[in-house]
Amino acid sequence: MNTLMYDTYTIFWRELKRYKKSRSGVLIRLIQPAIWIIVIGNTFSGTQPLIQSVGFQGEYIEFMTPGVIILTAIFTSIFGGVNTLWDRRYGFMNKALTSPISRSAIALGKMSAISLISALQASLIIGIALAIGVNFPNPIMIIPIMGIVILFSLGFSGISVMVAATAKSQETFWGVINFLGMPLFMISPALFPLELLPDWLAMIAKLNPVTYTILLVREMMTGVSEGGIPIIISLGVLFTFVLVMAGIASYVFTREVNRPF
Amino acid sequence: MRSNMLYSIEIKSLTKSFGDVTAVNNISLSVKNGEIFGFLGPNGAGKSTTIMILTTLLKPTSGQALISGFDVATNAKQVRQNIGYVQQETTVDEYLTGRENLLLQAKLNHIPKNEIDKRIDEILTLIELTDKQDKTVVTYSGGMRKRLDIAGGLLHRPKVLFLDEPTVGLDIQTRRKIWQYIKKIHDEFKMTIFLTTHYMEEADQLCDRIGIIDDGKIQVIDSPENLKKAMGNEVISIIFEEGENRDSFLSELEKIEFVNKINKDESKLTLFASNGTEVIPKIFQISSKLNIKITSISLTQPTLDDVFISYTGHEIRDDDSMFNQKREHAKMKRLRA
Repeated sequence: MNTLMYDTYTIFWRELKRYKKSRSGVLIRLIQPAIWIIVIGNTFSGTQPLIQSVGFQGEYIEFMTPGVIILTAIFTSIFGGVNTLWDRRYGFMNKALTSPISRSAIALGKMSAISLISALQASLIIGIALAIGVNFPNPIMIIPIMGIVILFSLGFSGISVMVAATAKSQETFWGVINFLGMPLFMISPALFPLELLPDWLAMIAKLNPVTYTILLVREMMTGVSEGGIPIIISLGVLFTFVLVMAGIASYVFTREVNRPF
Repeated sequence: MRSNMLYSIEIKSLTKSFGDVTAVNNISLSVKNGEIFGFLGPNGAGKSTTIMILTTLLKPTSGQALISGFDVATNAKQVRQNIGYVQQETTVDEYLTGRENLLLQAKLNHIPKNEIDKRIDEILTLIELTDKQDKTVVTYSGGMRKRLDIAGGLLHRPKVLFLDEPTVGLDIQTRRKIWQYIKKIHDEFKMTIFLTTHYMEEADQLCDRIGIIDDGKIQVIDSPENLKKAMGNEVISIIFEEGENRDSFLSELEKIEFVNKINKDESKLTLFASNGTEVIPKIFQISSKLNIKITSISLTQPTLDDVFISYTGHEIRDDDSMFNQKREHAKMKRLRA
């Protein structure tokens, strides 16, 4: 167990080193969520009465900011595994595979690095939201919010690492990732309350871990609990999601990297 | 007990097939502790596949391979603790500094924490990169990257070091430099080195013994000296104009005393002879008798090139390596299908 943690940390350390040295992309990746907040947040500001009808008192932009925080987390973490493909192409993977560290440690190390990076990106988005005047009544809540984002991203990065280990090409990877990412974001209360979704969509949304994460973050940011789902349930779903993903991802990753690339 | 064993590598009837393509065909060999063993063959001959089996990256289809007594298929973990693997491509991380790369390697190989700094300093001195250690690898030349890569492979003092085409893609001066480093690390650490190469000179310079592999099969294993000796003392190359008497020309040549072996490659003949100066006049006698026009003739000392040709019937060629790499790649892909 200790070895697994040491090895996971080794890979985590390497991934973060690489990230630090190739930071140029950080700002670029912030542009899209910033546009979401500014453009969608203002375009739909007229929907305030709708939002208020389900008990939310603030402006629309405040309602959707947690959605965009999670949007950032979804895409940062689901794209994050792509360097697995490079690692396999350029030999780092073989280097790691012929060393005594376990395959699971490689997957888990990558996942934890991705989730930390994802949390960094999300915190920058919170900064942007504050800068454009989004109301954040209880700033101390940023700490648990970051905790939620890290957990959530850990689970989501598992999807990324798994797809990257299975895909043999960039094209396959991006195809699958885009196919997964957008619907998981859309079928959730990111932009509109669960109560306003048609029943069948709300049903699907309730199967989506993204839903529970957004509900948690929204409650922490705005103090409004929504959808009638208790925090404890949301937290439970989130933890289960992370554990299951960590398990599946290590398993699939191990199975895939043991096959020749 | 294990360290008393005579052989670091034992390969018994090893076969690896990808679908209906046999990349490694029933090879057997043993490498003694501390020996530098070279696997020589053209691209696509099965060298990399063999190394990938020995380093636990591929499972053999049949047969067995032991590293320091551990089976690569069933004791992969122990094998990994005993090997260093330097791949054909340079795999150092460009974004990291030289030192960070070695640190990563040290952690991957579980070098005790309190030893890491000392070992890295030591190895940096050995490969003469101490001054550059804190620069990112992007600023390194190809030769420096390779040195760093090799250093990473031996930081944890493996019993067996695998070098897959250690100098491919480097210019000739850099290549010689890398050879010096390889000799130096071998003198220092006395580990067993298993290297693959398609450069004759490399095999000749570095290896105690050479196995020539072609088409997945081992053609011969011996020391470079013995291989050259077996060829006879001299090599005579003849280029002649094709004529109707070609076949009788060949059979007459074969009858000449001192001619050990003849290789035919269209209008080029290579004769391996033990007494070349006496053979040449006889060649001219035969050719004038049969009306064969000889365009050129030369007498040289045998090289490993000649050894290779004599065992495989063709030259090692560099220029079709792209084609062969593609073939190798296709081979790998087929496994997935």
